Amino acid sequence: MRVDVPPFKSRAKAALGDAVLKTAIDRTAGNAEKKRAIAVGDFPQFPAARVRGRQIKDHVVANLGHYLVEFEQNAIRSGAKVHWARTSEEASRIVIDICRAAGAKRVTRSKSMLGEEIGLPHALETAGIERVETDLAEHIVQLAGETPSHIVWPAMHKTREQVATLFNAKHAVRPDSDAIPDLVASARRDLRKKFLTADVGISGANFLIADTGAVCTVTNEGNAELTTTPPRVHIVTAGIEKLVPSVDHAFALLRLLVRSATGGDFTQYTTFHCGPKRPDDADGPEEFHIVLVDNGRTRMLGEGLAEMLRCIRCGACMNHCVVYRQIGGHAYGATYPGPMGSVLTPVIDGLAKSHDLPNACTLNGRCAEVCPVEIPLPTLLRGWRDKSWKEGLEPLTVRAGIGIWAYFACHPRLYRPATAISVRWMRLFSKGGRISWMPLAGGWTEYRDFPAPQRSTFISSYRAMRKGSQQ
Amino acid sequence: MMTAREQILQAVRDASRRQESAGDNVALEAGRLLEGIESCRPALPSVDVVGSFMARAAGPKVGASIDRIASLSLLPSAVGRYLAGRSKSAEIVLQPTAPLLGLDWSGAGVSRGENVDDGIAVGLARWGIAETGSVVFHSSRDTPILQAFLCALHIVAVPARGIVAHLDDYALAARYAGDPAPRNACLITGASGTTDIEGSLVKGAHGPRELHIIVVDNGIPS
Repeated sequence: MRVDVPPFKSRAKAALGDAVLKTAIDRTAGNAEKKRAIAVGDFPQFPAARVRGRQIKDHVVANLGHYLVEFEQNAIRSGAKVHWARTSEEASRIVIDICRAAGAKRVTRSKSMLGEEIGLPHALETAGIERVETDLAEHIVQLAGETPSHIVWPAMHKTREQVATLFNAKHAVRPDSDAIPDLVASARRDLRKKFLTADVGISGANFLIADTGAVCTVTNEGNAELTTTPPRVHIVTAGIEKLVPSVDHAFALLRLLVRSATGGDFTQYTTFHCGPKRPDDADGPEEFHIVLVDNGRTRMLGEGLAEMLRCIRCGACMNHCVVYRQIGGHAYGATYPGPMGSVLTPVIDGLAKSHDLPNACTLNGRCAEVCPVEIPLPTLLRGWRDKSWKEGLEPLTVRAGIGIWAYFACHPRLYRPATAISVRWMRLFSKGGRISWMPLAGGWTEYRDFPAPQRSTFISSYRAMRKGSQQ
Repeated sequence: MMTAREQILQAVRDASRRQESAGDNVALEAGRLLEGIESCRPALPSVDVVGSFMARAAGPKVGASIDRIASLSLLPSAVGRYLAGRSKSAEIVLQPTAPLLGLDWSGAGVSRGENVDDGIAVGLARWGIAETGSVVFHSSRDTPILQAFLCALHIVAVPARGIVAHLDDYALAARYAGDPAPRNACLITGASGTTDIEGSLVKGAHGPRELHIIVVDNGIPS
């Protein structure tokens, strides 16, 4: 949840002018892209696994009601309390109520994009409960007073130099040096005590296992288990699309998730949490709550976006997106950036506020190529463009421009002479075959030139050719 | 007025009525999605499952160090050997499980301590998975989960006969053992790491900086 003032275009423009941001994104996303390619290359079964992954998610989405009820029954049997939330406000209120009932002063949180989606950081702050983000990147983002800019690497927009400055200013004991290992050690030192003194631990879920009622979390840092084990209460917030029939199905998807996200083969810590501490368990929380969140997901199911419910949040689409790589995550002004975000944000925030996002796409198709569950992202983005046009959300200048073009395009007898004139007009501004300035083209030529058109139009060349061949 | 639960389930049913399968068919379809899973998972480098596990765990993707002993009674000396040459006098914290507590640790050149916070923990995993190089712990009376995360150095003994080929084989073994869903099932695959600053890998983010795995061929009661 974010209250964004400047429109997308100004945010994107500001991001494009930020050279440090470009460096930061290239270092992490570039790395992720290379490592994914190697991991997928080492896994010749990837194409078959990908088809299977899509089939599993489609099966769950088609039978979501069945799996929700099965999961709920098994979770309750394990001793968990299951809550249902229609909206982000309802979900946050449930979490805050549980925290209040537990008398919580300090809450640790293991990274969850759903938590961000429902505005949990803000809700905890309003409720006067201390929130400790434990994922290293979320810790950086919290200290900087910012929001995540990537779903896997929330602090992707920060260079090591910026993190060093931040930790030197905010950590009780300063890092030993500005080298990355010392920065990590400093965060470890700062967070260790907080893990052990929290009243409530909040996590998300990578998968909800229907046949056992367990919740699966994956991390490389081990912060999920340190968040969920010591406190008296563990709260899970999860979107209803996270269900899988069994742990075996979760494994099939984990093979895809980790390779696509970080280029690793498997996360360091993959843990299934099932209910509260058992009577003779050595440790674990006494209360275990699961909040199942809709927040637009049932609407997606009914309104032609069921394919998007396959998403397993790996972030590969943004790592491979030419637009994301230029502007970073904050420019999107929403919880979920990049291609998957541009499909989800209109559902969560409404199309009227976010109709620019589906347009921030070149339709080059790389996102769909790398998606581990074959979501046709460009098609879904085009769907939003279509809807935005039909609902009259595009600005008048765009509508008028396209209207004029469409009129000519529907009347070939007008279109052909008009293009012939345009070509001649454009060539007036050509210098050495390139056009670097032309009236009405300032938006394009401010940053780049473009090649001058050929002397004749396609149709006139075509006619000349046919004439030639007939002779 | 409908509750949130009723309203969400109603919305799901309204939207998916056309595709939804009838009760029993759902389970059949789910089962069918696991048929031929062999073609959707990585092959092991060799038919030797324990050898594949060791190669995987010691390889660059997992980055653990690895040892193999013939019998559990040799564990104290294997631990002592691994810790020898470290500057700090080694104080180890044992997972409070009978097979470890019952060993003779006196001659191993290590002392026993209680404080696992940033210390050395010695644990006994139930399973190993060759596909990923993971060791698996299930929470119980004698398996505290926090030990594995609070220590700085995690030494894990794993019985050779608990090592299975693939993730799916572990799921099957856990079901067969009658323990498919303990409070926590932790699959640990290497030391704690992070790539959160510029994608650069650093070990010892919040949990252990090092993971040392010792495969034990015999002598662990099941």
